[in-house]
Amino acid sequence: MAADPIHQFRIVDLFPVAKIGSTEIYFTNSSLLMLVAVFGLTAFLVIGTARRSLVPSRLQSAAELSYEFVATTIRGTAGAEGMKFFPFVFTLFMFVLTLNMLGLIPYSFTVTSHIIITAALAIMVFLTVLIYGLMRHGLHFFNLFVPKGVPIYILPLIVGIEILSFISRPISHSVRLFANMLAGHITLQVFAGFIVLLGAGLGAVGWIGGILPFAMIVILFALETLVAFLQAYVFAILTCIYLNDAIHPGH
Amino acid sequence: MADASAFARGFRLSTELVAGVLVGAGLGWLIDRWLGISPWGLIVFLMLGFAAGVLNVMRAAGVVRDRQLND
Repeated sequence: MAADPIHQFRIVDLFPVAKIGSTEIYFTNSSLLMLVAVFGLTAFLVIGTARRSLVPSRLQSAAELSYEFVATTIRGTAGAEGMKFFPFVFTLFMFVLTLNMLGLIPYSFTVTSHIIITAALAIMVFLTVLIYGLMRHGLHFFNLFVPKGVPIYILPLIVGIEILSFISRPISHSVRLFANMLAGHITLQVFAGFIVLLGAGLGAVGWIGGILPFAMIVILFALETLVAFLQAYVFAILTCIYLNDAIHPGH
Repeated sequence: MADASAFARGFRLSTELVAGVLVGAGLGWLIDRWLGISPWGLIVFLMLGFAAGVLNVMRAAGVVRDRQLND
């Protein structure tokens, strides 16, 4: 039965690449999709910027558009100084966007629907903020946790809350992307399952009735395409906001 | 923040709150285990975590202005 909505998230081992202790490390369908994304993106940007004509080709304008989009986002949220993190944010944004989009292809696999991937990305951002902030500002970085103008007697409480708020960032950062992709793909699969169930259960009448869930899939798919883009954008913009704290903590 | 859809915005706010509570609960539980003061660590940090979650939500919703915009 094709109605198991979780089946699409299964990791399939393709071939072993290494062995650490007694654990075999496999090249999986997830790794394959990530490789496709990395090579596809590299090819897109290298070919897109190879000619650099004044009247851009379609590929070149797409490459320029993605640069401008991320650059505007960074300048808007982290200021001009945030541009030193442009390679980092651009890579994250394009990587997540490509993986989300690749996941929408039928029979494909959504890498970002696994929390281990999104958590690794979010922790990377978190550590970047922490390490860069400490390197740049030393202990002044911890001014981040001490808001101005707070009476001294509730300051310990506020500092505790601020620290917890800071630590909770990678969790909300990673869960948001992962849960959106997971929920969206399960919904699609469930509605697709309705068509099969109707058809198998009621015969010809069922197949005609299946038009309704099918129409729903078309609408949901459009929504999912929006969500795939939006979540990549939200991931990037939150990265910028967090990086901004590393660049200008406290005051 | 100008999220383009209400769904994304709602989702963001709910994860912010849940993340705060989860971190508070996790830290409180760890402190209980390390210091053997169960259940006080969990009680205190769960409440702190809830406050942090509410703060996250208010920041994300723009009720409290973000630190970086204050200067």
